[in-house]
This record gives sequence, C-alpha cells and structure tokens, in this order.
Amino acid sequence: MGGLSTALLIGVGGLDAAQGALDATSNNIANVNTPGYTREAAQFSELPQNQSNAQITGGGVMLDGLDSIRDELLNVQIQQQTSLQSAADTESASLQQVQTYFTSTGTDITSALAAFSSSLVQLSGNANSSAAQQGVLAAGQNLAAAFNNTANGLTNVQTETNRQIPDTVSQINSLTQQIAQLNGQLAQLPAGQDGGTTQDQLDQEVQKLAGLTNISVTKTNNGETIATGSGTALVEGNQSFNLQTAAGPSGLQQVLDSNGNNITSTIIGGSLGGALNIANQVIPGFLSQLNTLARQFATAFNSAQTAGTDSNGNAGAAFFTGTSNLSSAAAGISVGLTSAAQIAIGSGGSAGGNGNVANLSAALTSALPSGQSAAQSYASLVFNVGTAASNASTQSTAIGDNLTQLTTQQGSISAVNIDEETANLLRFQTAYEAASRVVSTVQVLGNAALNMGSGTSF
Amino acid sequence: MRIDPNIVPNLLAELQQSQVSLNTALQQVSTGLSVNAPSDNPTAAAAMVQNTIESGDLDVYTQNVSTALSSVQTANSVLNSVVTSLTSAVSAGTEGANGTNSATDLQALANEVQGILTSVVTAANTSVSGSYLFGGTSTTTPYTANAASPAGYTYNGNTSSNSVAVGDQNSVQINLPGSQIFSNATNNVLGSLSSLVSALQSGGSLAIQTATASVDSALNYVGQQQVFYGNAETQLNSQETFLQQDKVTLSTQANSLIGVNMATAATNLTQAETDNSAALAAVAKVLPNSLLSYLAPPA
Repeated sequence: MGGLSTALLIGVGGLDAAQGALDATSNNIANVNTPGYTREAAQFSELPQNQSNAQITGGGVMLDGLDSIRDELLNVQIQQQTSLQSAADTESASLQQVQTYFTSTGTDITSALAAFSSSLVQLSGNANSSAAQQGVLAAGQNLAAAFNNTANGLTNVQTETNRQIPDTVSQINSLTQQIAQLNGQLAQLPAGQDGGTTQDQLDQEVQKLAGLTNISVTKTNNGETIATGSGTALVEGNQSFNLQTAAGPSGLQQVLDSNGNNITSTIIGGSLGGALNIANQVIPGFLSQLNTLARQFATAFNSAQTAGTDSNGNAGAAFFTGTSNLSSAAAGISVGLTSAAQIAIGSGGSAGGNGNVANLSAALTSALPSGQSAAQSYASLVFNVGTAASNASTQSTAIGDNLTQLTTQQGSISAVNIDEETANLLRFQTAYEAASRVVSTVQVLGNAALNMGSGTSF
Repeated sequence: MRIDPNIVPNLLAELQQSQVSLNTALQQVSTGLSVNAPSDNPTAAAAMVQNTIESGDLDVYTQNVSTALSSVQTANSVLNSVVTSLTSAVSAGTEGANGTNSATDLQALANEVQGILTSVVTAANTSVSGSYLFGGTSTTTPYTANAASPAGYTYNGNTSSNSVAVGDQNSVQINLPGSQIFSNATNNVLGSLSSLVSALQSGGSLAIQTATASVDSALNYVGQQQVFYGNAETQLNSQETFLQQDKVTLSTQANSLIGVNMATAATNLTQAETDNSAALAAVAKVLPNSLLSYLAPPA
C-alpha cells in the first residue's frame, strides 16, 4: 500500500500539472491578440496505478505537454481562399482605377464623341459660320485628347501594376526562405510532437505566401513542401527555391523559376496572379479594343473628309493623324488639320455649301470594319470594363464571405477566448491551491507521525 | 460547440459593410444617379454612350431646325415681295399695251418696271447671316449687272442646294438655286422684266403685250417655286415636334438607365443610417463585456 510519501508524490505531481496548465493559460491570455497564435491546452493523463498486494491506489497525474489546438485541413482551405481573394482584390483595385477613365466626366470619350457629333450637326446648319467650323476643329481635338488620355490612363495602370511584380516576387522569396528555416526547426522535434509556436509561425508565413501567389502545400517527413500551382517547388525541407523576374519582349515582367523557366502563365492566384492578369491580359485587351476603335474611326472619318472640298477649294486633307501604328493608335491620334478652313465642308470640288457635312456625320454613325459604329464599339468597351470591374469586386465579396466563415470556424477551434481562459485560471488556481494543501497536509501528517509517542499531551 | 471568440473582426466587417451601404445610399441621393461608374451597371453604362451622343445631337438638331426655319421663312417672304413686284409689273405692262399712252407715259411705265427689276435683283441677292438665299451653295453675290447679258444680269451662283441635318439620317433641303427661280430658261423673271422695259421704251403695243404675257408667266412660275419653301416649312415644323418628343424619350431612357428613384433612394438612406447606428451600438455594447467584469478583484 502507498504511504505518506506516495501521497506527497501525487500531491507534487498535481502541483506540476496545475502549474503547467497555468502556464498554458497565461500564455494564451498573453497572446490573445497575436496573429496566427493557436491556443494551447495542457494535456493531462493518469499515471499508472500502484498495486500493493490486493490494494490498488491511484498513481496521480502526469502533464503530457501543452498542445496547440489547430485544424490543418481548415488552414489549407483558408490558404486557397486567401489566394483567390487576394487575386480578386488586386484586380478589383486596378480595375477601379481603369474604370474612372470610362466614367462620364465631361472629358471622357463618350462626352467628346457627343460634342464632336453635335459640332458636326451645328456645322450642317451653319456651314459658313467660322464659329461652327472652329467648333468642329476644337471638338475633334478634344476627342483625340480623350482617346489619348484614356489610352495613357490604361497604360499607367498597367505600368504601375507591372512595377509591383518584382516587389511581390522578392516578398515571396523572403517568405519561402523563412518557411524553409522554420521547416528545419520543426524537423528537430520528435515525430508526432506538435510544433507549437514554431508551427504557428510556419502557418502564418504560409498564409502570407498564399496571399501573394497560388500554392500547394504537402506535409512530408521534412516538414511542409510548398510548390506553386503548377508544381514548381518553392520550399522542400529546409531548402527554398527563389523565383526571379525578367522583363519580357513587350517590357512586361515575366516570372521565372529558379532554373530560369518562364512560369508566368501558371501563376493565377494571389496578388502576384492578380497583377499578372491585369498587366498581361486585361489591360492589353482593353487597349487593343481602344486602339482598333481609334484607328478605324480615324480612317472612316478621314475618308469622308478626303472625299470633300475644304473652304479653300482644295480636296480635304486627313482630319486625324497618328493612327498608322495600331498598337499606339489611341495614344497617338491627333488632329492633322491646322485651320478650320481645311475642314471639307463642301462637296463636288468647289468650296461653299455643306454637301460633305452629312458624309462627315455619317462616319460617326455608320458601321466601322468592326461591324459596329464608333459609339457602339466604344459602348461595348465600356460594357467590358464595367463587367470586369463589377465581376472582380463581386468575386472579392463572395470569396470574402467564404473566407469569413472559414476564419470563424478556425477561430472557434484555435482562437483564445478570454472568458474561457479566465474560468480556466480560476479552475487551475483552485487545483493548485488544493494540491499545495495536499503537500502541506502530508507535511503535517509526517510531523505527527515523527512525533508519535514523544508528545507530553497524553 | 465552441464558438469563435474573435468577434472584433466580424463586428468591424459589419460596421464597414453598413458604412459602404450608407455611402452608396448617400451618393445616390446626392447625385440622383444609380450608376456612378461603369461597374455599377455595365449594361446601362454602355447604353448611355449612345444616349449621351443622341441627346447632344438632339439639342443641335433643334437649333438647326430653327435656323433653317428662319432661312426658309425669309426666302418665302422675299418671294412674296417678288410676286407683289411682278404683279405691279404685269399691271404696268397691261396699262402700257392699251394703246392710249403717250411716249412720256410709256417712259414713266418703263422706269417703273426698271425699278421693279432692280428690286427683284436686290431680293434675289438677299443674304441671311452671310449666306445668300438664292446663290445655290456659292458664297459670291448671286446676280451682278452685266450689259452683255440679254437680261442685263449674270448669275454667279451654282445649281447646288444646301441641306441641313435636322435628325439622324434626316436632312431638309432649305434653298433653291437662284438660276432655277429668277433666270430659268423657260420662265426667266429677270429676262422677262428686262424685255418689258425695252418693249415699253420702244412703244410697240404688240411687243408690250408679248413681254407682259411672259412676265405674267414668270409670275406664275415664281408662285409654283414658293410651294417648295412652304413644304420645307411644314417639314421643319413637324420635325421640331418630333425632336421635342424624342428629347422626352431620350431623357426618360437616361433616367431609367442611370437615374435613381428618389423615394427608394431616400428610403435606402434612412435604412442605411439605421443599420449603421445599430451596428455602432452593438459594437459599443458587446466589446467591453467579459467574465472579468463580474469577478471580484484579487484580494
């Protein structure tokens, strides 16, 4: 049977256990606002029982350790959604900038087209008025300027987005280096042991990495192996592989793996994926639509202008110039005429009359080679820009809702609840007090046993 | 089940959401527009491109109609005065042909008709804001004196005419060239007046009668040409009515595309304000609460 010393050992074990639990609680309370912290819980187990003859007594408690409470599957889902949301947010932010150039401001292409069109109508009614002629010239210059501004605005957003790419890639590289280092630390731990704070840090870094690009994470004996969506290794064990950037043929940044292979097209998630999509796909698409419009419109208007006769009796000269290079047609378009007298108002080879004004007006309303009139093809560009911006923000909201649910779920498992910790504090305080009372009681009893028979009180 | 103790991020997200709604509602009420950027409604934003261009044109079409109307009306009243002048010329010719006039009387009549000829030429040279009404599309004075010409005047204009755009794919011809009205080969107003002057000066009754008859026929011809201006005026007036209706149609369309229903917008704003204050009140109430508030401080 157990003696007083057994009771003392059990009491001390209880003190240790309560002490460990208090450590966990105090650490939880201290880290309540630390990002990525997962709450710790003390794990207790019973010690083997003591058997002496037919008598069995309990063996006390053992503190197995402090476990961090986490759900790896949820972490993976959160990483994936974070990649998607980060891409949608990056796209949405750029597209919000893009669409300001397509918003009715008075200097946008819609307003300029409307002013140009009505200046021609005005000219039709007042062919000999120099004010009406000047009006057409000025409205034409404004229209060319509106094309220039819109094209330059798009290009600026593209350049700005493109400039972020090397920064993002260097952030990715510094994260993968840290992750590899943490992997190395985790590998030192015995198998099956929770990584605790190191694992928290690792998860936090992987989470940040997921915000930058789309990744796939696999658990191996060497810690976490991380690859890009297409399988290019970023981290293996304690080794990390740096991505690189290089300017492509059109000046746009390309992403290369550590061996120099171009992996740009496989990066679709995270802020890197979003930025690449905006700079390499979305804005070039809008620009090409705008350039085609500028060029076809200029050609159509010029052919109406050259068919007529200007106020000096000469055949009309090209109204718009600078569109010969399709890739810079919208940025380059300008008015080639130097005076309002060069507008081909008349027809039939002699000055006077407004015979050609109807043809000039018709260039605005009749179908261009694209099959749509200038206004219609600009309208479809506005529609495309609006849809892209609206889709990106809708997507961001939808993924955000999803992510909120996942984070709430993760919080319900891993986050520190102050009320719970306060209750635990009271609980372990009581347990500690009780265990210390056991120790002091055993001491009193021990003293009593030692003094047995020597007392004078009998 | 354990719940997520981190209510702060959720509360902040709710707060932000209610502020976004509040801003949207406020923007809609203050601008009167439900579409302030293409992403608010891409279809409506695209449709507004055409609408903006058309309504811009519409205002100028209306201006063109009134300019064209004034030009057509002026031309019509000029032709009215020409008809009156020609009628007096016919009476002068008839009087001269009755055989009871002395040479002095005939000379007086010839002077009168000469005066009429001059006034008709002045009428034919009428210009409105720098454009000659009867010069075709030419910018030079339509009729100038020319002794070599049988009528005494040459036509310097051309045979074209100006058409003014008054609607999409709709333009109205607003003038006839002077050569068609005043110096036509078969009914030459100026030529017949000039012949009448010569006939009156030479005094032969038969010649005066013939010349008077051709002035009379020219008079009828001018009357026929006036019909053109009457038709143009009718056409312009009906186009003006159409443009007014079209303006209403376009602004109704614009309003339904990007406008905001003020009653709905105001309700949304009130709703958003209520939501926002509720969210704020919830944050203020929930955040300070914890078990610690109910525990006695450590002794």
